[in-house]
Amino acid sequence: MNDQPLSIHSFPRAILHIDGDAFFAACEQSRDPSLKGKPVITGKERGIAASLSYEAKALGVKRGMRLSEIKKICPGAILLPSDYETYSLLSQRFYAIVRRYTPDIEEYGIDECFADITGLRRPLRMSYPQIAEKIQTDLYENLGFTFSVGLGPNKTIAKIGSKWKKPSGFTAIPGYLIHEFLKHKPTEDIWGIGPQTSAYLKKVGVHTALEFARKSEEWVKSKFTKPIYETWQELNGKFIFPLDTIGRTTYTSVQKVKTFTPPSNNRDFIFSQLSKNVENACIKLRRYNLAATQGTFFLKLQTFRYVGLELKFSRPTAIPSEIIKVIEAHFDEVYDSQCLYRATGIVLFNLEEHTVNQLDLFNYALKAMEMKKLYASVDKINERYGKHTVFLGTSFLAHDHPQHEKERGDQPERKQHLLKGENKRQRIGIPMFMGTVN
Amino acid sequence: MQKYQDKIYKFFKKNKRMPSFREISRITGLKSTNAVSKLVDRLAAQGVIQKDAAGKLIPKNLWGATKILGTVAAGFPSPAEEELVDTISLDEFLIAKKEATYMLKVSGDSMIDAGIHPGDMVLAERNRTPKEGDIVIAEVDNEWTMKYLRKQNGRLVLEPANKKYKTIVPDAELNIAAVVIAVIRKYH
Repeated sequence: MNDQPLSIHSFPRAILHIDGDAFFAACEQSRDPSLKGKPVITGKERGIAASLSYEAKALGVKRGMRLSEIKKICPGAILLPSDYETYSLLSQRFYAIVRRYTPDIEEYGIDECFADITGLRRPLRMSYPQIAEKIQTDLYENLGFTFSVGLGPNKTIAKIGSKWKKPSGFTAIPGYLIHEFLKHKPTEDIWGIGPQTSAYLKKVGVHTALEFARKSEEWVKSKFTKPIYETWQELNGKFIFPLDTIGRTTYTSVQKVKTFTPPSNNRDFIFSQLSKNVENACIKLRRYNLAATQGTFFLKLQTFRYVGLELKFSRPTAIPSEIIKVIEAHFDEVYDSQCLYRATGIVLFNLEEHTVNQLDLFNYALKAMEMKKLYASVDKINERYGKHTVFLGTSFLAHDHPQHEKERGDQPERKQHLLKGENKRQRIGIPMFMGTVN
Repeated sequence: MQKYQDKIYKFFKKNKRMPSFREISRITGLKSTNAVSKLVDRLAAQGVIQKDAAGKLIPKNLWGATKILGTVAAGFPSPAEEELVDTISLDEFLIAKKEATYMLKVSGDSMIDAGIHPGDMVLAERNRTPKEGDIVIAEVDNEWTMKYLRKQNGRLVLEPANKKYKTIVPDAELNIAAVVIAVIRKYH
């Protein structure tokens, strides 16, 4: 029974999942040879490990670990502040290289993507595994670090493949071999099956992914919701989840949160941190020509507890001063001068297209139109001279203080190597080799 | 108007002479002599045809030779897109393989005689096969080094462009990460 294949086909659809190996740490190691072979950890500015090189993983460091803890178990660790600008540049190159082979790509995350290569064997004169390995080689040669690739008849199986052998692994799972790969896999390792579902599966006696895949359709349908049923179909070799090749064109909510150190109870400072977040959220809204009618602002206490308040705006807005005015009226309902705070945040939701068309009795619409025009100019100035060249007075204290104290305030190395004509905010969009060049 | 001009041009090409007023009336379909006369005056005013002393027609610019770019009829054409189609930006000029090109800032003076100074910005391609004589970015003792790639006694060595430095003879495998394709120095 256990050796009977789940599907008799190989690749009715050929889907790749391509996953960067310790992506952020690899970006760092590939541009600075002094980091090669060493335990490199990024995320210094957050105070926790965001990405670990394989050397760091081997020493027992885990993702999310506190920096102080890391220093104890791994005194030689190299801690780096995240350089998201460089990681994003390299991520775009990653997608562009895969797009040389197929336009059907889903950018699933900064370090991973799905690619549909169905039907490309003849035009490329290569088998599916050969195409996958060619893409893998191209990525290494262009970017200088490795990716792991899984090939399967659908996204769920492709994802099992890319995780099977890491780093720099390639695993092809044709339909007729799926059962071999599911045999010893716990259900929670399957993409789309969360801890709740897997806990429930255990209660009904299902432990491995193969046991789950072998359950009857009626059984699955009667016990689970549609997404889990669809995952079950994919485990049986069917192609169910389409690739989202268009990507995000709009948002349903926009969130900006920022931690600062040391924790503070200074009302003006905390308020200016929040004000800066509101400005950032509004910049994003305006970039997508959106306006919010509702929002939640919150403060994070030093005890990691959150306090916040939901707000409604009288009309859709993407103008920070309007939102800040509403927050100011309610700020003291949330803020307590006896407490220390470590972060502020704003979530704007109930978004709609930013148009000013509804006239009203008190000429607010006219004023809104003027504000929209004013902020169009602000956006232009900031585009030309860098983000936050013009900002609100209420955000001044946040701009005037470094976000973090001591080593958490360290800037990425790239930002310390400015070329003539670059500034703190604007740099050339080409990744830079780091370290000394003699 | 252009329609009539084309018809007159066709007549001229076929008969090797200009049409009479009556013939213009026939080929254009204009019924009255008055209408033909007005057409002739208008074409004359545009410099398409001319009347001789006897009032007979002579071709002047019947071919419409000034019409080159779109609808611009006279004078210098505006710097239209057509002329700019084949220009490239500085980015495109400097960078051939977008996904493989990286930059670095020079910190040492070992390539000064090759015209590469400390503080210069260098563009380098990762996946280019290095050839002898190329300036390459190589990894030596866990650091980047930029040198000429040369061959000495059958093995690859890294040669500086500054007498103060010695040629590097790598003891193990030489790891070349990229080949330099451009040097940029910005003064202002």
